[in-house]
Amino acid sequence: MGRYMIHCAGVSFVFVLTLGLLLPGTAEAVPAFARQRGQNCVACHAGGQFPELTPYGRIFKLTGYTLGERTLPLSVMGVLNANKVKVNDSTQGHTQDGNLIFNTASLFIAGKVTDNIGGFAQITYNNYDTLNPDNSRWTGHSGADNMDFRYADRYINDKQDLIFGLSLNNNPTVQDVWMSAPAWGPATVPGSTGAGGGTLPKLADGLGQQVAGLGAYVYWNQTVYAEITGYKTGDGIFSFMTQGVNKDHGPQTYLKGTNPYWRLALTHAWGPHNGMLGVSGMNVKIYPDSTDPTGPTDRYRDLSLDAQYQYLLDPHTITAQASYIHEKQNLFTNLAAVNPSDTVNSFRAKMSYVYQAKYGATLSYFDVHGSTNNNPNTDTRGWTPEIFWTPLQYVRIGLQYTLFDKVNGLSGNTDGAGRNAKDDNTLLFYVWGAY
Amino acid sequence: MKTASIALMLILALAGMSCSTTTEHSRNLADPRISGKTLAQQVCSNCHGIDGNSVNPNFPRLAGQQKEYMIAQLKQFKSHSRFDPPGFEYMWGLSRNLTDKQVDELASYFSAQKGLADKPDDTKREENGRDIFEHGVAVQNIPACLTCHGMDAAGNGTFPRLAGQHADYLIKQLKVFQRTDERPEGAIMKVITHDDLTLDNIENVAAYLATLSTK
Repeated sequence: MGRYMIHCAGVSFVFVLTLGLLLPGTAEAVPAFARQRGQNCVACHAGGQFPELTPYGRIFKLTGYTLGERTLPLSVMGVLNANKVKVNDSTQGHTQDGNLIFNTASLFIAGKVTDNIGGFAQITYNNYDTLNPDNSRWTGHSGADNMDFRYADRYINDKQDLIFGLSLNNNPTVQDVWMSAPAWGPATVPGSTGAGGGTLPKLADGLGQQVAGLGAYVYWNQTVYAEITGYKTGDGIFSFMTQGVNKDHGPQTYLKGTNPYWRLALTHAWGPHNGMLGVSGMNVKIYPDSTDPTGPTDRYRDLSLDAQYQYLLDPHTITAQASYIHEKQNLFTNLAAVNPSDTVNSFRAKMSYVYQAKYGATLSYFDVHGSTNNNPNTDTRGWTPEIFWTPLQYVRIGLQYTLFDKVNGLSGNTDGAGRNAKDDNTLLFYVWGAY
Repeated sequence: MKTASIALMLILALAGMSCSTTTEHSRNLADPRISGKTLAQQVCSNCHGIDGNSVNPNFPRLAGQQKEYMIAQLKQFKSHSRFDPPGFEYMWGLSRNLTDKQVDELASYFSAQKGLADKPDDTKREENGRDIFEHGVAVQNIPACLTCHGMDAAGNGTFPRLAGQHADYLIKQLKVFQRTDERPEGAIMKVITHDDLTLDNIENVAAYLATLSTK
C-alpha cells in the first residue's frame, strides 16, 4: 500500500467524519456507542469489563461502529488512582506514594457517521505527564490517544456472512477486536503496572500515537479474520492522530516508508463458549535519529501468536487471553557487533471471572525477556492479581497488586545497589469511570 | 497536481461511500425505510443467529417462534413494559424506533425459520419434564403446559413456542415469571408458576422442551 494512497484515503476519512459529526443527530446521553444502540454496556463488553468485547461487540466494531442510530458522539472518561510501591523509588516521585491522584481524563468523539462509516477518537489529558527534575513537580497536558476510523460493509444472508472494511488508526492492533491484541490487554486499566520496565516488542509498545495506518480487513462467516495494514509516521495530514504526544518526550518516532502489519485469526462459537486462535506480524523500520530521517534504519520484525477464550452465560463471565510475541531486532548501533541481531520475547496471559457483571477477579502473568547486545537488560517477570467491582455500568473500582519475580533480568540486586525485584511490587487502587 | 489528485480521490471516495450506503445493508435502527428482513440479518442475527437459532443460550431461539408473540414482545420492549434485565439491557434500545411495519417484518422473518433443538442428554430429567409439560403437577395445582403452548409446544398466537428453546433461557424466564413482575404481559405465568413449582421441576421441564423438535 503506497504512502500516497494512505494519504488520500486519510483525507477522505477525516472529511467525511467531520462532516458527519457536525450534522444534527438525535441527542442522547453517553458513553456514545452504548447510547447509539440504546443498550447497556454489557451488550458489547464481556461481563461489563470494558474494554473487553463480547462477540456482539466485536461485530459492532468490525461493522464500523455503524449499528444503531446517530447520537451525540461524545463520551468522557476519568481515572483516579493510587500507586504504592513496596520500596519507593524516589526518582519516580509522587506517582508512587500511595496518595489518591487524578491520573488521566479522556474525551471521546465516537459514533456512527453514515451507514458505512464510524469511528472513535480519544483525546487524553495526562495529569502526570512529565516530571521536572529541577523542582520534582509533574506537569500534565493533553494529547492524542487511540483513534480508529472505519468504513465497513456486510453481505449477510442464510448462505454466507462477509464483513469487510477499512480502518484508519494510530496504534498497531488498536483495530483488533480480541483482547489478546497488545493494544488492549492485559494491562488495560489506566495506570496499571503492566510488565514494569520490561522492553516490549514494537507491536506492543512504542508505536501508539506515533504512527498512522490504513488497513483493509475481512471477516468471513464469523470464522476467518484477515487483515493487512500499512503504517507510516503520523505526520502531515495525520498529525492530528499524534498531536501533543511527544511534547516534552523527545521527537516523534520516524518510520521509513510504509510498514506492513498483518493478522489472521480463526474463531468459533459453541453454546456459551467462543474462542479465537490468531497469528500476526509486523515489520518496522525506524530511523535511529528521528530528527534526521535519512540513512540506515533500525529494523524490527515481530511475529505474534495469540488466543482468546470466553464463556458468557449470565450471571457468569469467564475470559482468558494469551499472547506470545517474538521480535527480531537489527539495530543500527549494533551493526558492527559480533551478533548484530537481538531478540525480544513477550509472553502475557490473563484470566478473568466476573459475576453478575459486577464483581470480578483477574490474574495476569507476564514474562518479557530477550538478548540485549550492549543495552541494559530490562527483562521482567511477574504476576498481577486484581479484584474489581462495577457498582454501575459506568464505574469500575479495583485493586491490583503486581508481584515481580524478575526486574532488569534479576531477582536480587536489580539495580546494583541492593534493590530486589520484589521491592518493585506495586499496589494499585483505581476508580475508573466513563460516561 | 498533488492537491488536485487528493481532491479527486476525495470526491471519488465520497461518491463511492454514498453509493454503497444502500438500505439493503443498513444497520440503521432509526430509518423506517430499512426492511425488517435487513434488520434481522444485519442486527438481530448478531445474537439470535441468521436463521433465528442462536448459539449462545443467553439469547432465545427465535426460529419458528409465533409471529404474534414476537410482535407483542417487540412492542413490550419498545414501550418498556417488559423490563427483565436482558430486556432492558439489550432490547429497549434496539426496538425504540422500530415501526409497526418493521416489527411485523421482523416477526415474519424469524417465524418462517426452521427451529433447531438440543440433543437429549439426560433421559431421567427430560422424562420428568415431559410429564410436567403434558400433565402438570396435580398436587400443586400446576396445569399442563400444553394446555396453552400446544401438544408439540409449538405455541399459539401470543402463547410462545417453547419447543427447542434453550433450557437456560427457559429456566431464567420461568424464574422471572415466578419471582418478579418484570414481564407484566405474562402475569398468568406468575399464577401458574407460583412458589410450588420447584427449581428442580423448572429445570426438568426446560430440559425436555430444549430437546423437543417439532415443525
